[in-house]
Amino acid sequence: MTATEKKNEQSFEYQRTKKERVGDFLYETSRKLFWKNGKKTATNMSVKRGDQIFIIAMLILPIISWGVFWLYTNIQSIFMAFEHPTTGELSFINFKNVWNLITNPANTTYSLSISIINTLKYFGVMMLINTPVCLIIAYFFYKRIMCYKLFRIVFYLPAIISAIVYVTAFQEFINPIGPLGQIQRWFGITPDPVGLLAKNETATNTIMLYCIYTGMTTNVLLFSSGMARIPIEVLEAAKLDGVGPARELMQLIFPLIWPTFSTQMVFMLTGVFSSSGPILLFTNGAYDTSTISYWIFRQLYGSDGNGGGEGAYSLVACVGLCFTMLGVPLILLVRKIVERIDPIEY
Amino acid sequence: MSKLIKKKKDDTANVLTRRTGGEKILFGVVFVIFLLYAILLLYPLVFLFINSFQDALTYVLVRTKPGYNPFAMPEVWHFENYVKAFGMSIVDTKGNPINLFQMLLNSLWFCFCRVCFPVFTCCCTGYVLSKYNFRCKELIYTIIIFTMTVPIVGNTASSLRLAHAIGTYNNPILMLITNFTGYGFNFMVMYAFFKNISWSYAEAVFLDGGNNFTAFFKVMIPQAKMAIVTLCVIAFIGVWNDYESALLLYPDYLPLAAGLYRLQLTATRSGDIPYYYAGLMISTVPLIIVYACCSDIIFKNFSVGGLKG
Repeated sequence: MTATEKKNEQSFEYQRTKKERVGDFLYETSRKLFWKNGKKTATNMSVKRGDQIFIIAMLILPIISWGVFWLYTNIQSIFMAFEHPTTGELSFINFKNVWNLITNPANTTYSLSISIINTLKYFGVMMLINTPVCLIIAYFFYKRIMCYKLFRIVFYLPAIISAIVYVTAFQEFINPIGPLGQIQRWFGITPDPVGLLAKNETATNTIMLYCIYTGMTTNVLLFSSGMARIPIEVLEAAKLDGVGPARELMQLIFPLIWPTFSTQMVFMLTGVFSSSGPILLFTNGAYDTSTISYWIFRQLYGSDGNGGGEGAYSLVACVGLCFTMLGVPLILLVRKIVERIDPIEY
Repeated sequence: MSKLIKKKKDDTANVLTRRTGGEKILFGVVFVIFLLYAILLLYPLVFLFINSFQDALTYVLVRTKPGYNPFAMPEVWHFENYVKAFGMSIVDTKGNPINLFQMLLNSLWFCFCRVCFPVFTCCCTGYVLSKYNFRCKELIYTIIIFTMTVPIVGNTASSLRLAHAIGTYNNPILMLITNFTGYGFNFMVMYAFFKNISWSYAEAVFLDGGNNFTAFFKVMIPQAKMAIVTLCVIAFIGVWNDYESALLLYPDYLPLAAGLYRLQLTATRSGDIPYYYAGLMISTVPLIIVYACCSDIIFKNFSVGGLKG
């Protein structure tokens, strides 16, 4: 560059107005923020000033929303856990109260210790019964069992129809004076007049049975769609080798749908302490049926059915913090294990 | 070409449906089990439907009499129960009645707010994060995955306090601002979808003088129509059936699912059980219509793959 050219450039920069300089500054800042290493990236796109406006316009609302309704909410929840229930001052009393609720449940009907046990039961049922059964059902759908399209539609109904409808229908069905009671009488069995949902010994198991009964929905659909992507040649080769259905499912199909399965497992584990049945609709937490999520709901919504809550916000936040602290290492461990297993490329 | 596709389909069908003798027996047994399960899923609904036509005055009394047959059909079919169901009401926190029709309107509003906005926002985040490279991209993607996988329990109390503070509590209009959620399951679906769409479509738009917005709204969104419809259908079903969040956050504007829960308590006390059953059936109609129209879309477009990040 010659000296004259340099001089011309300097005089050109000097002539730029204030408004233009502000524009330049904003452009430089956004360039540093949004371009990798402050440079245009040689990717499959054309990077220009308009791109940044577009990116900002598209992301601004979701980012604000996340900041307010996720980040702020969760940070506030942590602070609330250390908030004194009456004075609002920094205190560890909530942790002491939570410990008392777990270790000395005699003073409350909807005890936290029972809620924890029930929650783990629901999670166990979901992981050990629902998920394997869903996998098996998806396999038979994939193998085009007779009327599989019809079954697929009917099995998905509990996910479509409101829980309040299905719960009412199920309650009426198992009622001692309902169809199940009548069937029992036909076989000479006298049904218990109290009913399965009005006894401590049977209420939780009955709700868990309901969860199994209505739980063959989304997982079946996910596993089916995973199976539909498997190259047919693989199955054909296995068929020629005389592989039976059990081996085909466990040693061939299952490893091939591992990414779908593992993702689903991680999501399910995310909800380990939120596992529950529709307790509110069945028993309103009575007969030792409470779960952690129902216990939280009850603290916030109240026991009279008209809202208002029990006012124990900080206690709820503290319970939440304790279980989140337990859940985070668990989920990280599971994710680490899951990521170690390399999916089969096909 | 079509012959080739047909042949491939036939080959696929052959591999999946060809069975040995032992397999035929196994599939027969499983078919019977599936059939029984399907009947078990359908019968309770049919039972509710039939009993929604019972006489409301005598239904409770008849059930307590010895020799009552729960499988019996109503002596007189009371179709008017469905009209009377619309007259059933609950009382809000200010003492005003909310009837079934109002609940229906609330449900439609809830669905509009909580289906359209989150799905659209996820389209935006999914598109930008899959197609544009910028410095914060990895950070935002990692945050989204982290948000989805961290097992947070009990932040409802904090959400409720925030709702009171910003005025969204019991305010269905302001509910709009809480629904620009650009993460979660919807994001994953849209991200995967846009990742697989060629960028040359957008480049063609730029060559024709269009900008990023033109490419997104006129080319990319129409291509993602099926994925968007699938997400909308799934979200619609979820929102229509959600009762807990409405009970907590909008006690005076209860949608059908939450309202019916409250109605259940009053109907059991007043003995209007057939009307309540009719109300339940009415709440199911929109879902059945959506399901009948979109079941194919749901089954064809529902998939989730690996989780990295």
